[in-house]
Amino acid sequence: MKAIWAIASVMMRELVRKKDFYILLIFLLALLGFLSSQSFFNVEGISRYIKDFGYSLVTLFSFIIAVTFTAKQMPGELESKTIYPLLAKPVSRHTIILGKFLGGVVISSISFVLFYGIFCIFQWIGGTGNSFMLLGQGFLFGILFLCLVCAIAMFLSNIMTLGANITLSVLLYIMISGFADSVRDSVLFSKGITSVLGGIFYYLIPHFEFYDLRIRITHSWDPLPGWIVVAVALYTCIYCFVLIYFAGLIFRRKRL
Amino acid sequence: MREVLTANNLSYTYETGKKKVEALKGLSFAVNDGEIFGFIGPNGAGKTTTIKLLLGILISQKGELSVLGKSPTLPEARKSVGYMPEIANYYRYLTPVELLTMYGDIFGIEKKLLKARINELLRLVDLEKESDRIMGTFSKGMMQKVSFAQALVNDPDLLILDEPSSGLDPVARKNMREVIKSLRDKDKTVFFSSHELSEVELVSDRIGILNRGELLAVGPVEDLLGEKEEGQTLESYFLNMIEREI
Ligand SMILES: Nc1ncnc2c1ncn2[C@@H]1O[C@H](COP(=O)(O)OP(=O)(O)OP(=O)(O)O)[C@@H](O)[C@H]1O
Ligand SMILES: [Mg+2]
Repeated sequence: MKAIWAIASVMMRELVRKKDFYILLIFLLALLGFLSSQSFFNVEGISRYIKDFGYSLVTLFSFIIAVTFTAKQMPGELESKTIYPLLAKPVSRHTIILGKFLGGVVISSISFVLFYGIFCIFQWIGGTGNSFMLLGQGFLFGILFLCLVCAIAMFLSNIMTLGANITLSVLLYIMISGFADSVRDSVLFSKGITSVLGGIFYYLIPHFEFYDLRIRITHSWDPLPGWIVVAVALYTCIYCFVLIYFAGLIFRRKRL
Repeated sequence: MREVLTANNLSYTYETGKKKVEALKGLSFAVNDGEIFGFIGPNGAGKTTTIKLLLGILISQKGELSVLGKSPTLPEARKSVGYMPEIANYYRYLTPVELLTMYGDIFGIEKKLLKARINELLRLVDLEKESDRIMGTFSKGMMQKVSFAQALVNDPDLLILDEPSSGLDPVARKNMREVIKSLRDKDKTVFFSSHELSEVELVSDRIGILNRGELLAVGPVEDLLGEKEEGQTLESYFLNMIEREI
Protein backbone atom coordinates (compact mmCIF):
# COMPACT_ATOMS: atom_id res chain seq x y z
CA MET A 1 0.00 0.00 0.00
CA LYS A 2 2.82 2.36 0.94
CA ALA A 3 4.51 1.59 -2.39
CA ILE A 4 1.33 2.37 -4.35
CA TRP A 5 0.99 5.67 -2.56
CA ALA A 6 4.68 6.53 -3.05
CA ILE A 7 4.30 6.06 -6.81
CA ALA A 8 1.05 8.07 -6.86
CA SER A 9 2.34 10.97 -4.80
CA VAL A 10 5.14 11.69 -7.25
CA MET A 11 2.46 12.58 -9.79
CA MET A 12 1.10 15.26 -7.45
CA ARG A 13 4.46 17.00 -7.56
CA GLU A 14 4.30 16.74 -11.34
CA LEU A 15 0.89 18.48 -11.33
CA VAL A 16 2.12 21.30 -9.10
CA ARG A 17 5.37 21.83 -11.00
CA LYS A 18 4.07 21.79 -14.55
CA LYS A 19 2.14 24.59 -16.21
CA ASP A 20 -0.87 22.65 -17.58
CA PHE A 21 -2.93 22.88 -14.42
CA TYR A 22 -2.46 26.62 -13.88
CA ILE A 23 -3.38 27.44 -17.46
CA LEU A 24 -6.70 25.59 -17.13
CA LEU A 25 -7.35 27.19 -13.74
CA ILE A 26 -6.84 30.73 -15.05
CA PHE A 27 -8.92 29.94 -18.12
CA LEU A 28 -11.82 28.69 -16.00
CA LEU A 29 -11.68 31.68 -13.65
CA ALA A 30 -11.66 34.08 -16.60
CA LEU A 31 -14.60 32.41 -18.34
CA LEU A 32 -16.76 32.09 -15.24
CA GLY A 33 -15.82 35.61 -14.17
CA PHE A 34 -16.82 36.98 -17.53
CA LEU A 35 -20.13 35.12 -17.53
CA SER A 36 -21.12 36.17 -14.04
CA SER A 37 -20.25 39.78 -14.75
CA GLN A 38 -22.97 39.53 -17.40
CA SER A 39 -25.52 38.43 -14.81
CA PHE A 40 -25.03 41.69 -12.91
CA PHE A 41 -26.43 43.45 -15.91
CA ASN A 42 -29.45 41.20 -15.66
CA VAL A 43 -29.09 39.50 -18.98
CA GLU A 44 -32.06 37.17 -19.31
CA GLY A 45 -31.38 33.53 -18.42
CA ILE A 46 -27.68 34.06 -17.87
CA SER A 47 -27.57 32.36 -14.45
CA ARG A 48 -28.94 29.17 -15.92
CA TYR A 49 -26.42 29.50 -18.70
CA ILE A 50 -23.58 29.92 -16.19
CA LYS A 51 -24.62 26.70 -14.51
CA ASP A 52 -24.87 24.82 -17.76
CA PHE A 53 -21.68 26.16 -19.24
CA GLY A 54 -19.77 26.19 -15.95
CA TYR A 55 -20.57 22.58 -15.18
CA SER A 56 -19.48 21.51 -18.65
CA LEU A 57 -16.23 23.46 -18.33
CA VAL A 58 -15.44 21.97 -14.92
CA THR A 59 -16.02 18.47 -16.27
CA LEU A 60 -14.06 19.09 -19.45
CA PHE A 61 -11.04 20.64 -17.72
CA SER A 62 -10.76 17.88 -15.13
CA PHE A 63 -11.17 15.36 -17.94
CA ILE A 64 -8.25 16.97 -19.80
CA ILE A 65 -6.03 16.77 -16.70
CA ALA A 66 -7.08 13.16 -16.03
CA VAL A 67 -6.42 11.98 -19.59
CA THR A 68 -3.22 13.85 -20.33
CA PHE A 69 -1.50 13.11 -17.03
CA THR A 70 -2.53 9.47 -16.81
CA ALA A 71 -1.90 8.68 -20.46
CA LYS A 72 1.65 9.98 -20.43
CA GLN A 73 2.76 8.11 -17.30
CA MET A 74 3.79 4.74 -18.72
CA PRO A 75 5.12 6.02 -22.07
CA GLY A 76 7.05 8.65 -20.12
CA GLU A 77 8.57 6.04 -17.80
CA LEU A 78 9.59 3.89 -20.75
CA GLU A 79 10.97 6.71 -22.83
CA SER A 80 13.00 8.35 -20.08
CA LYS A 81 14.04 4.90 -18.80
CA THR A 82 12.99 5.80 -15.28
CA ILE A 83 11.04 2.55 -15.39
CA TYR A 84 14.23 0.51 -14.82
CA PRO A 85 15.15 1.77 -11.36
CA LEU A 86 11.46 1.55 -10.48
CA LEU A 87 11.15 -2.07 -11.63
CA ALA A 88 14.29 -2.91 -9.63
CA LYS A 89 12.43 -2.02 -6.43
CA PRO A 90 10.44 -4.72 -4.64
CA VAL A 91 7.19 -3.94 -6.46
CA SER A 92 5.16 -5.99 -8.90
CA ARG A 93 4.15 -4.55 -12.23
CA HIS A 94 0.53 -4.49 -11.09
CA THR A 95 1.57 -2.28 -8.19
CA ILE A 96 3.20 0.19 -10.56
CA ILE A 97 0.09 0.36 -12.75
CA LEU A 98 -2.12 0.71 -9.70
CA GLY A 99 0.09 3.48 -8.28
CA LYS A 100 0.03 5.40 -11.53
CA PHE A 101 -3.74 4.98 -11.84
CA LEU A 102 -4.25 6.17 -8.29
CA GLY A 103 -1.95 9.13 -8.98
CA GLY A 104 -4.06 10.07 -12.00
CA VAL A 105 -7.24 9.83 -9.93
CA VAL A 106 -5.78 11.91 -7.10
CA ILE A 107 -4.42 14.75 -9.24
CA SER A 108 -7.49 15.00 -11.45
CA SER A 109 -9.65 14.92 -8.30
CA ILE A 110 -7.61 17.72 -6.73
CA SER A 111 -8.08 19.76 -9.90
CA PHE A 112 -11.76 18.89 -9.93
CA VAL A 113 -12.21 19.93 -6.29
CA LEU A 114 -10.70 23.29 -7.09
CA PHE A 115 -12.63 23.78 -10.32
CA TYR A 116 -15.90 22.57 -8.81
CA GLY A 117 -15.36 24.74 -5.74
CA ILE A 118 -14.94 27.78 -7.96
CA PHE A 119 -18.07 26.80 -9.87
CA CYS A 120 -20.10 26.51 -6.64
CA ILE A 121 -18.77 29.88 -5.42
CA PHE A 122 -19.82 31.55 -8.66
CA GLN A 123 -23.28 30.03 -8.28
CA TRP A 124 -23.46 31.26 -4.74
CA ILE A 125 -22.39 34.78 -5.74
CA GLY A 126 -25.04 34.74 -8.44
CA GLY A 127 -27.61 33.72 -5.79
CA THR A 128 -28.73 30.76 -7.87
CA GLY A 129 -27.20 27.93 -5.83
CA ASN A 130 -28.47 24.37 -5.85
CA SER A 131 -29.30 22.19 -2.88
CA PHE A 132 -26.24 20.85 -1.08
CA MET A 133 -27.46 17.34 -1.76
CA LEU A 134 -27.43 17.83 -5.52
CA LEU A 135 -24.10 19.67 -5.50
CA GLY A 136 -22.71 16.85 -3.36
CA GLN A 137 -23.95 14.29 -5.88
CA GLY A 138 -22.44 16.32 -8.69
CA PHE A 139 -19.18 16.26 -6.80
CA LEU A 140 -19.22 12.50 -6.16
CA PHE A 141 -20.17 11.74 -9.76
CA GLY A 142 -17.39 13.99 -10.95
CA ILE A 143 -14.81 11.99 -8.98
CA LEU A 144 -16.26 8.66 -10.15
CA PHE A 145 -16.18 9.93 -13.72
CA LEU A 146 -12.50 10.81 -13.34
CA CYS A 147 -11.73 7.33 -11.96
CA LEU A 148 -13.23 5.79 -15.08
CA VAL A 149 -11.39 8.21 -17.37
CA CYS A 150 -8.05 7.47 -15.67
CA ALA A 151 -8.62 3.71 -15.83
CA ILE A 152 -9.34 3.89 -19.56
CA ALA A 153 -6.32 6.12 -20.25
CA MET A 154 -4.10 3.83 -18.17
CA PHE A 155 -5.34 0.72 -19.96
CA LEU A 156 -4.93 2.25 -23.41
CA SER A 157 -1.44 3.55 -22.58
CA ASN A 158 -0.28 -0.07 -22.43
CA ILE A 159 -1.48 -0.93 -25.91
CA MET A 160 -1.05 2.23 -28.00
CA THR A 161 1.02 5.39 -28.39
CA LEU A 162 0.37 8.50 -26.35
CA GLY A 163 -1.20 10.38 -29.25
CA ALA A 164 -3.53 7.53 -30.18
CA ASN A 165 -4.50 7.08 -26.55
CA ILE A 166 -5.47 10.72 -26.01
CA THR A 167 -7.33 10.87 -29.33
CA LEU A 168 -9.27 7.69 -28.59
CA SER A 169 -10.06 8.77 -25.02
CA VAL A 170 -11.41 12.12 -26.21
CA LEU A 171 -13.38 10.47 -29.03
CA LEU A 172 -14.91 7.92 -26.66
CA TYR A 173 -15.89 10.71 -24.31
CA ILE A 174 -17.52 12.82 -27.00
CA MET A 175 -19.25 9.91 -28.76
CA ILE A 176 -20.57 8.24 -25.64
CA SER A 177 -21.72 11.36 -23.82
CA GLY A 178 -23.41 12.46 -27.02
CA PHE A 179 -24.79 9.30 -28.55
CA ALA A 180 -25.16 6.60 -25.88
CA ASP A 181 -28.91 7.14 -25.77
CA SER A 182 -29.25 6.78 -29.53
CA VAL A 183 -27.21 3.57 -29.39
CA ARG A 184 -29.49 2.19 -26.70
CA ASP A 185 -32.61 3.09 -28.68
CA SER A 186 -31.33 1.56 -31.90
CA VAL A 187 -30.38 -1.63 -30.01
CA LEU A 188 -33.84 -1.80 -28.50
CA PHE A 189 -35.51 -1.54 -31.88
CA SER A 190 -33.16 -3.83 -33.80
CA LYS A 191 -33.70 -7.57 -34.27
CA GLY A 192 -31.65 -10.78 -34.54
CA ILE A 193 -27.88 -10.76 -34.56
CA THR A 194 -27.59 -6.95 -34.71
CA SER A 195 -29.64 -6.73 -31.56
CA VAL A 196 -27.32 -9.20 -29.78
CA LEU A 197 -24.11 -7.57 -31.02
CA GLY A 198 -25.48 -4.11 -30.39
CA GLY A 199 -26.50 -5.17 -26.89
CA ILE A 200 -23.04 -6.48 -26.12
CA PHE A 201 -21.53 -3.29 -27.51
CA TYR A 202 -23.88 -1.15 -25.47
CA TYR A 203 -23.10 -2.96 -22.23
CA LEU A 204 -19.34 -2.91 -22.76
CA ILE A 205 -18.78 0.75 -23.59
CA PRO A 206 -17.88 3.04 -20.67
CA HIS A 207 -21.06 4.92 -19.90
CA PHE A 208 -19.83 8.48 -19.41
CA GLU A 209 -23.40 9.70 -19.66
CA PHE A 210 -24.18 8.10 -16.28
CA TYR A 211 -22.09 10.75 -14.57
CA ASP A 212 -23.55 13.76 -16.32
CA LEU A 213 -25.68 15.78 -13.91
CA ARG A 214 -25.50 18.91 -16.02
CA ILE A 215 -29.19 19.17 -16.84
CA ARG A 216 -30.21 18.31 -13.31
CA ILE A 217 -27.93 21.01 -11.89
CA THR A 218 -28.82 23.59 -14.53
CA HIS A 219 -32.52 23.27 -13.81
CA SER A 220 -32.07 22.72 -10.06
CA TRP A 221 -34.02 19.46 -10.15
CA ASP A 222 -34.26 17.08 -7.20
CA PRO A 223 -31.21 15.05 -6.26
CA LEU A 224 -30.93 11.47 -7.57
CA PRO A 225 -32.33 8.65 -5.46
CA GLY A 226 -29.71 6.90 -3.31
CA TRP A 227 -29.82 3.54 -5.10
CA ILE A 228 -28.77 5.13 -8.39
CA VAL A 229 -25.79 6.74 -6.70
CA VAL A 230 -24.76 3.37 -5.22
CA ALA A 231 -25.27 1.60 -8.54
CA VAL A 232 -23.13 4.11 -10.44
CA ALA A 233 -20.40 3.87 -7.78
CA LEU A 234 -20.42 0.06 -8.06
CA TYR A 235 -20.37 0.23 -11.84
CA THR A 236 -17.31 2.51 -11.70
CA CYS A 237 -15.46 0.23 -9.26
CA ILE A 238 -16.01 -2.89 -11.36
CA TYR A 239 -15.13 -1.16 -14.63
CA CYS A 240 -11.93 0.32 -13.17
CA PHE A 241 -10.91 -2.94 -11.50
CA VAL A 242 -11.20 -4.90 -14.74
CA LEU A 243 -9.32 -2.29 -16.78
CA ILE A 244 -6.48 -1.91 -14.28
CA TYR A 245 -6.18 -5.67 -13.85
CA PHE A 246 -5.80 -6.19 -17.60
CA ALA A 247 -3.47 -3.20 -17.90
CA GLY A 248 -1.24 -4.92 -15.31
CA LEU A 249 -1.35 -8.22 -17.19
CA ILE A 250 -0.37 -6.54 -20.46
CA PHE A 251 2.41 -4.59 -18.78
CA ARG A 252 3.72 -7.77 -17.16
CA ARG A 253 4.10 -9.43 -20.53
CA LYS A 254 5.85 -6.45 -22.05
CA ARG A 255 9.52 -6.99 -22.96
CA LEU A 256 11.52 -4.05 -21.68
CA MET B 1 30.63 -18.93 2.00
CA ARG B 2 27.07 -18.22 0.93
CA GLU B 3 26.28 -17.69 -2.72
CA VAL B 4 24.41 -14.45 -3.14
CA LEU B 5 23.91 -14.76 -6.83
CA THR B 6 23.93 -17.81 -9.07
CA ALA B 7 23.30 -18.22 -12.75
CA ASN B 8 23.08 -21.63 -14.33
CA ASN B 9 23.11 -22.02 -18.09
CA LEU B 10 21.41 -18.64 -18.45
CA SER B 11 20.28 -17.71 -21.96
CA TYR B 12 18.37 -14.83 -23.42
CA THR B 13 17.24 -14.05 -26.94
CA TYR B 14 15.73 -10.75 -27.98
CA GLU B 15 13.01 -11.05 -30.57
CA THR B 16 12.03 -7.97 -32.51
CA GLY B 17 9.69 -9.00 -35.27
CA LYS B 18 11.42 -11.72 -37.25
CA LYS B 19 14.91 -10.74 -36.15
CA LYS B 20 16.43 -12.66 -33.26
CA VAL B 21 19.45 -11.55 -31.25
CA GLU B 22 21.01 -14.18 -29.02
CA ALA B 23 22.26 -11.87 -26.28
CA LEU B 24 23.27 -14.57 -23.75
CA LYS B 25 24.31 -18.11 -24.54
CA GLY B 26 24.33 -20.40 -21.52
CA LEU B 27 25.99 -18.28 -18.86
CA SER B 28 27.00 -19.94 -15.59
CA PHE B 29 28.62 -18.17 -12.66
CA ALA B 30 28.24 -17.52 -8.95
CA VAL B 31 28.97 -14.50 -6.80
CA ASN B 32 29.78 -15.06 -3.15
CA ASP B 33 28.76 -13.18 -0.07
CA GLY B 34 30.89 -10.11 0.62
CA GLU B 35 32.66 -10.13 -2.71
CA ILE B 36 33.16 -7.44 -5.32
CA PHE B 37 32.56 -8.99 -8.72
CA GLY B 38 33.53 -7.10 -11.86
CA PHE B 39 31.65 -8.03 -15.00
CA ILE B 40 33.58 -6.87 -18.03
CA GLY B 41 33.04 -7.10 -21.73
CA PRO B 42 32.94 -5.00 -24.88
CA ASN B 43 29.84 -3.17 -26.17
CA GLY B 44 26.98 -5.51 -26.87
CA ALA B 45 28.53 -8.40 -24.91
CA GLY B 46 25.35 -8.86 -22.88
CA LYS B 47 26.24 -7.18 -19.58
CA THR B 48 23.10 -5.07 -19.31
CA THR B 49 20.98 -8.01 -20.41
CA THR B 50 22.43 -10.14 -17.60
CA ILE B 51 21.74 -7.37 -15.09
CA LYS B 52 18.16 -6.95 -16.28
CA LEU B 53 17.65 -10.68 -15.81
CA LEU B 54 19.10 -10.49 -12.28
CA LEU B 55 16.53 -7.82 -11.45
CA GLY B 56 13.53 -9.56 -12.98
CA ILE B 57 13.17 -6.77 -15.55
CA LEU B 58 13.62 -9.44 -18.22
CA ILE B 59 12.58 -13.04 -17.71
CA SER B 60 15.07 -15.68 -18.81
CA GLN B 61 13.85 -18.11 -21.44
CA LYS B 62 16.35 -20.79 -20.45
CA GLY B 63 18.43 -21.58 -17.41
CA GLU B 64 18.16 -20.85 -13.70
CA LEU B 65 18.83 -17.74 -11.74
CA SER B 66 18.82 -17.08 -8.04
CA VAL B 67 19.28 -13.75 -6.28
CA LEU B 68 19.70 -13.82 -2.49
CA GLY B 69 18.20 -17.31 -2.56
CA LYS B 70 15.08 -16.31 -4.50
CA SER B 71 13.92 -16.24 -8.06
CA PRO B 72 14.34 -12.68 -9.39
CA THR B 73 10.82 -12.73 -10.80
CA LEU B 74 9.51 -12.32 -7.24
CA PRO B 75 9.36 -8.72 -5.99
CA GLU B 76 10.60 -9.92 -2.54
CA ALA B 77 13.89 -10.99 -4.13
CA ARG B 78 14.67 -7.29 -4.64
CA LYS B 79 14.08 -6.19 -1.03
CA SER B 80 17.80 -6.12 -0.25
CA VAL B 81 19.06 -5.29 -3.71
CA GLY B 82 20.29 -1.89 -4.87
CA TYR B 83 20.48 -1.10 -8.58
CA MET B 84 22.16 1.64 -10.51
CA PRO B 85 21.08 1.60 -14.16
CA GLU B 86 23.29 2.16 -17.17
CA ILE B 87 21.43 5.36 -18.08
CA ALA B 88 20.92 7.64 -15.11
CA ASN B 89 17.65 9.39 -15.75
CA TYR B 90 15.20 10.32 -13.05
CA TYR B 91 12.02 12.37 -12.72
CA ARG B 92 13.27 15.78 -13.73
CA TYR B 93 10.64 17.72 -11.77
CA LEU B 94 11.74 16.18 -8.46
CA THR B 95 14.60 17.11 -6.14
CA PRO B 96 17.11 14.42 -5.10
CA VAL B 97 15.58 14.35 -1.62
CA GLU B 98 12.09 13.78 -3.04
CA LEU B 99 13.34 11.04 -5.33
CA LEU B 100 15.14 9.20 -2.55
CA THR B 101 12.11 9.61 -0.29
CA MET B 102 9.86 8.08 -2.93
CA TYR B 103 12.15 5.08 -3.39
CA GLY B 104 12.61 4.74 0.37
CA ASP B 105 8.83 4.69 0.80
CA ILE B 106 8.55 1.95 -1.80
CA PHE B 107 11.00 -0.10 0.27
CA GLY B 108 8.83 0.67 3.30
CA ILE B 109 11.65 2.31 5.25
CA GLU B 110 10.58 4.04 8.43
CA LYS B 111 10.35 7.87 8.08
CA LYS B 112 12.97 8.99 10.59
CA LEU B 113 15.50 6.41 9.53
CA LEU B 114 14.91 7.28 5.88
CA LYS B 115 15.46 10.98 6.47
CA ALA B 116 18.75 10.35 8.23
CA ARG B 117 19.88 7.93 5.55
CA ILE B 118 19.06 10.33 2.72
CA ASN B 119 21.14 13.07 4.36
CA GLU B 120 23.99 10.65 4.80
CA LEU B 121 23.81 9.43 1.20
CA LEU B 122 23.69 12.90 -0.32
CA ARG B 123 26.76 13.79 1.73
CA LEU B 124 28.42 10.60 0.53
CA VAL B 125 27.95 11.49 -3.15
CA ASP B 126 28.70 15.15 -2.55
CA LEU B 127 25.27 16.49 -3.50
CA GLU B 128 24.35 18.09 -0.18
CA LYS B 129 24.19 21.57 -1.66
CA GLU B 130 21.95 20.47 -4.51
CA SER B 131 19.66 18.35 -2.39
CA ASP B 132 16.68 20.69 -2.81
CA ARG B 133 17.23 21.63 -6.42
CA ILE B 134 15.01 20.22 -9.14
CA MET B 135 16.96 17.60 -11.10
CA GLY B 136 15.93 19.05 -14.48
CA THR B 137 19.03 21.25 -14.43
CA PHE B 138 21.48 18.57 -13.29
CA SER B 139 24.55 17.66 -15.30
CA LYS B 140 25.20 14.07 -16.42
CA GLY B 141 27.66 13.50 -13.62
CA MET B 142 25.29 14.89 -11.01
CA MET B 143 22.56 12.57 -12.24
CA GLN B 144 25.03 9.71 -11.98
CA LYS B 145 25.64 10.65 -8.36
CA VAL B 146 21.92 10.73 -7.66
CA SER B 147 21.73 7.33 -9.32
CA PHE B 148 24.42 5.94 -7.05
CA ALA B 149 22.72 7.38 -3.97
CA GLN B 150 19.34 5.89 -4.87
CA ALA B 151 20.94 2.47 -5.30
CA LEU B 152 22.00 2.60 -1.65
CA VAL B 153 18.77 3.94 -0.16
CA ASN B 154 17.65 0.58 1.22
CA ASP B 155 21.11 -0.26 2.62
CA PRO B 156 21.23 -3.24 0.25
CA ASP B 157 23.04 -6.53 0.83
CA LEU B 158 23.59 -6.87 -2.89
CA LEU B 159 24.47 -3.89 -5.04
CA ILE B 160 24.15 -4.21 -8.81
CA LEU B 161 25.81 -1.41 -10.77
CA ASP B 162 25.69 -1.06 -14.56
CA GLU B 163 28.72 0.98 -15.62
CA PRO B 164 28.70 3.09 -12.49
CA SER B 165 31.61 5.38 -13.23
CA SER B 166 30.63 6.54 -16.72
CA GLY B 167 30.21 10.31 -16.78
CA LEU B 168 32.00 10.89 -13.49
CA ASP B 169 35.08 13.08 -13.08
CA PRO B 170 38.27 11.53 -11.60
CA VAL B 171 37.53 12.79 -8.08
CA ALA B 172 33.99 11.41 -8.13
CA ARG B 173 35.32 8.14 -9.56
CA LYS B 174 37.82 7.75 -6.77
CA ASN B 175 35.10 8.65 -4.30
CA MET B 176 32.84 5.95 -5.70
CA ARG B 177 35.66 3.39 -5.60
CA GLU B 178 36.21 4.20 -1.95
CA VAL B 179 32.52 3.72 -1.22
CA ILE B 180 32.44 0.40 -3.07
CA LYS B 181 35.48 -0.80 -1.14
CA SER B 182 33.95 0.32 2.14
CA LEU B 183 30.90 -1.79 1.32
CA ARG B 184 33.11 -4.88 1.24
CA ASP B 185 34.11 -4.12 4.83
CA LYS B 186 30.43 -4.13 5.74
CA ASP B 187 30.08 -7.59 4.17
CA LYS B 188 28.00 -6.35 1.27
CA THR B 189 28.18 -7.93 -2.15
CA VAL B 190 28.77 -5.81 -5.25
CA PHE B 191 28.19 -6.88 -8.84
CA PHE B 192 29.23 -4.29 -11.34
CA SER B 193 29.73 -4.07 -15.09
CA SER B 194 32.27 -1.94 -16.85
CA HIS B 195 34.55 -1.60 -19.79
CA GLU B 196 36.92 0.54 -17.78
CA LEU B 197 39.41 -2.24 -17.19
CA SER B 198 41.79 -0.27 -15.00
CA GLU B 199 38.80 0.50 -12.81
CA VAL B 200 37.76 -3.10 -12.49
CA GLU B 201 41.29 -4.11 -11.58
CA LEU B 202 41.39 -1.60 -8.74
CA VAL B 203 38.34 -2.77 -6.83
CA SER B 204 37.32 -6.28 -7.85
CA ASP B 205 37.96 -9.46 -5.92
CA ARG B 206 36.94 -11.56 -8.90
CA ILE B 207 36.02 -10.81 -12.45
CA GLY B 208 34.04 -12.39 -15.23
CA ILE B 209 34.88 -11.67 -18.84
CA LEU B 210 31.93 -11.69 -21.19
CA ASN B 211 32.04 -11.59 -24.96
CA ARG B 212 29.14 -12.03 -27.37
CA GLY B 213 26.97 -13.57 -24.70
CA GLU B 214 29.56 -16.10 -23.55
CA LEU B 215 31.71 -16.08 -20.44
CA LEU B 216 35.33 -16.40 -21.51
CA ALA B 217 36.80 -16.57 -18.02
CA VAL B 218 35.82 -16.18 -14.36
CA GLY B 219 38.23 -15.91 -11.47
CA PRO B 220 40.26 -13.74 -9.09
CA VAL B 221 42.06 -10.90 -10.82
CA GLU B 222 45.51 -12.27 -9.84
CA ASP B 223 44.71 -15.76 -11.13
CA LEU B 224 43.55 -14.55 -14.50
CA LEU B 225 46.59 -12.38 -14.88
CA GLY B 226 48.83 -15.09 -13.38
CA GLU B 227 48.30 -17.25 -16.45
CA LYS B 228 50.22 -14.69 -18.44
CA GLU B 229 53.66 -13.14 -18.26
CA GLU B 230 54.67 -10.79 -15.49
CA GLY B 231 53.59 -7.19 -15.67
CA GLN B 232 50.66 -7.81 -17.95
CA THR B 233 47.69 -5.61 -17.23
CA LEU B 234 44.10 -6.63 -17.31
CA GLU B 235 43.71 -4.39 -20.31
CA SER B 236 46.06 -6.39 -22.51
CA TYR B 237 44.80 -9.68 -21.13
CA PHE B 238 41.28 -8.71 -21.97
CA LEU B 239 42.12 -7.59 -25.48
CA ASN B 240 44.10 -10.78 -26.10
CA MET B 241 41.29 -12.90 -24.86
CA ILE B 242 38.74 -11.23 -27.09
CA GLU B 243 41.01 -11.22 -30.13
CA ARG B 244 41.53 -14.94 -29.77
CA GLU B 245 37.77 -15.39 -29.75
CA ILE B 246 37.37 -13.41 -32.95
N1 LIG C 1 15.75 -4.34 -26.49
C1 LIG C 1 16.56 -5.02 -27.31
N2 LIG C 1 16.08 -5.53 -28.46
C2 LIG C 1 16.88 -6.23 -29.31
N3 LIG C 1 18.17 -6.47 -29.08
C3 LIG C 1 18.71 -5.97 -27.96
C4 LIG C 1 17.94 -5.22 -27.02
N4 LIG C 1 18.73 -4.86 -26.00
C5 LIG C 1 19.94 -5.36 -26.28
N5 LIG C 1 19.95 -6.02 -27.44
C6 LIG C 1 21.10 -6.73 -28.06
O1 LIG C 1 21.60 -7.68 -27.13
C7 LIG C 1 23.01 -7.68 -27.15
C8 LIG C 1 23.54 -7.42 -25.75
O2 LIG C 1 23.20 -6.12 -25.36
P1 LIG C 1 23.53 -5.51 -23.92
O3 LIG C 1 22.84 -4.21 -23.80
O4 LIG C 1 23.25 -6.53 -22.89
O5 LIG C 1 25.12 -5.29 -24.03
P2 LIG C 1 26.13 -4.59 -23.02
O6 LIG C 1 27.18 -5.58 -22.72
O7 LIG C 1 25.43 -4.02 -21.86
O8 LIG C 1 26.75 -3.44 -23.93
P3 LIG C 1 27.23 -1.95 -23.53
O9 LIG C 1 28.60 -2.10 -22.99
O10 LIG C 1 27.24 -1.23 -24.83
O11 LIG C 1 26.27 -1.40 -22.57
C9 LIG C 1 23.43 -6.66 -28.18
O12 LIG C 1 23.71 -7.34 -29.37
C10 LIG C 1 22.22 -5.79 -28.35
O13 LIG C 1 22.15 -5.30 -29.67
MG1 LIG D 1 25.20 -2.13 -21.15
